Amino acid sequence: MTPGQPEQAPALEITDLNVRYGPVHAVRDACLTVGAGQVVALIGETGSGKSSLALAAARLLPSSAAVTGQVAIAGRDVSALGGSAFRRVRASLLGCIAQDAMAALNPVVPVGRQVGELFAVHAGMSRPQAAEAAVAALAQVEIRHPAAVARLYPHQLSGGMRQRVMIAMAMALAPPLIVADEPTTALDVSTQAEILALIGELRARMRSGFLWITHDMGVVAELADWAAVMYAGRIVEQGPVDVIFDAPAHPYTEGLLATRRDLRSGAPGAPLFQIRGSPPGPAELPPGCPFAPRCPRATATCTEVDPPLEPAGSTGGHEAACHHPGTGADQKAGAKVAAAEAGAAEAGDHLGTAGTVTL
Amino acid sequence: MARALIRRLLFGVIAVAGVVVLAFLLEFVVPGDPAKAIAPRAQSPAVLASIRAQLHLNQPLIVQFADYFGSLLRGNLGTSYIQRQSVASLIGPRLLTTGVLALAGVVAEVVIGGTLGILATLYGRVRALVSAVNLTLLAIPIFVLGLLLLLVFGFQLAVAPVTGGAGPAQLVLPALTLGLIGAPWYAQIVADQMQDSLASSYVRTAVSKGLSDSYILRRHVLRNVLSPAITMIGLDLGSYLSGVVTVEVVFVWPGIGLLAVDSLHNLDRPIVMGTVIVGAIAVVFFNLVADVLRMFVDPRTGEEL
Repeated sequence: MTPGQPEQAPALEITDLNVRYGPVHAVRDACLTVGAGQVVALIGETGSGKSSLALAAARLLPSSAAVTGQVAIAGRDVSALGGSAFRRVRASLLGCIAQDAMAALNPVVPVGRQVGELFAVHAGMSRPQAAEAAVAALAQVEIRHPAAVARLYPHQLSGGMRQRVMIAMAMALAPPLIVADEPTTALDVSTQAEILALIGELRARMRSGFLWITHDMGVVAELADWAAVMYAGRIVEQGPVDVIFDAPAHPYTEGLLATRRDLRSGAPGAPLFQIRGSPPGPAELPPGCPFAPRCPRATATCTEVDPPLEPAGSTGGHEAACHHPGTGADQKAGAKVAAAEAGAAEAGDHLGTAGTVTL
Repeated sequence: MARALIRRLLFGVIAVAGVVVLAFLLEFVVPGDPAKAIAPRAQSPAVLASIRAQLHLNQPLIVQFADYFGSLLRGNLGTSYIQRQSVASLIGPRLLTTGVLALAGVVAEVVIGGTLGILATLYGRVRALVSAVNLTLLAIPIFVLGLLLLLVFGFQLAVAPVTGGAGPAQLVLPALTLGLIGAPWYAQIVADQMQDSLASSYVRTAVSKGLSDSYILRRHVLRNVLSPAITMIGLDLGSYLSGVVTVEVVFVWPGIGLLAVDSLHNLDRPIVMGTVIVGAIAVVFFNLVADVLRMFVDPRTGEEL
């Protein structure tokens, strides 16, 4: 894992981002940095605000959403840019990979043209030039017979191929930032592994930073440099991935890891660990820490004061929003096993497919 | 796909055959004596009887039908009672005239309806206005609208011809009538589809690619709207053609519809039958055309056809 070079501006820098849908406060005071070439995993359950945060960063939220805060991409403050000014630069600043490529591709336009229009509109290429560039971009994402595939429609492609087309579009202009919204969730396991391997390769080559939304801790362990955990609209913990896995400070993160640990190494037949209760609705946040009602460590303070995000532990950048952060000592051993297993299992999955991938 | 087309064609042939039987039976339900229509001044029953015998009208219905169907299978639509000319030669040129009007009407309804639908989707302020226009148009019977237009533009403002005929000037009002009557349906379908399309994930992808709004509308939204609109043309064809007949009568447009109505008044059964059969074939044929067309616009339908 290579951290961004110090002189390079971070791929993405979000400061005090808030997203509101009417009375619903979906993202609260989020600050997040994706270093150049880094993969930052944004973890959280449905409704935690992770998609709102990512879509706000990509300026893809509907106009009904009220967004405040600052977003800088590759050192450029894009929150200050007007709509059409941002439109002109957006494709060269950030690419987006959607979860459901079938829906995200236009059903009645050949995929080659959908890739090619990026070159036609933003690189000023003529139609035949753009078509050629599209074929080259499809070849980049390891689609075999790219010239033939370019003429096909999305419904004629497999799920993996469609996701490759999405990736080709996102990376067409080699943007410094890619926002990926659970790009492998809709795929079967072996295709998932292929796509992850492909993204890993492209990332190394293009040095794009990734904001990667996911539920999958295995993906986080394998691909991400940094992890940010969201709960009820807030980033409750963030830090380097190995630190998060080794010594989670927030009890919610601990819980997430424990559910995974049980899946990997729990005794057969033993009940799986689960975080009790369910997250609060975004419109009825309790006073104090939103996780307090479900938290084993909650005290009276927790139900009164919402803890701010503060440095946790000794590792640089590791932060948690908790009155009683874990020291990591008690759960360290177990978590390490889980992280190692996750990494090993996922790496093993990919070895098989990596061999067949040719450039 | 070819197989599916052949199957549809087969169904089409069955449908046309059914129409032939039904129309033939209806002919004989209509009161009146064709012989009297042919020779209105003939008083002697002997003359009328000889006319009836000449036309085989005195034979049992089933025999008449067998005769008619037999010659139909040989491609013979029969001879007009009154004009003493083959039905095919009468219908032929009229078919072209009707085709011109029908086509102009379809273009008018798609253009007017599409424009209304697009305006209603893109500009919230005109949405209520468009709905009001739609409702008004839906509530007006086609012959009332035709007469109204004729009255206003033909007689009051005198900018449109009031005499019948098949010239370009005479085409405007009937085509406009058809267009206005059909427009609300297209406006609705276009507005619905556009709303779906604008909210779709692929439009969000297009936005994320930094494409301009007008580019996205032209290249990504409209193509997705086109396919259901074309389906609509195909589905709507039957009722649309009946509208064409009405409009031809109102504006005295010398097409196949006017011919049919005139012949119905004259009890000229072969012509009525001929026009009905040609109409049925047209509906079947253009439904097929719409399906094929839709396949080109929306490649997904190729598989389900």
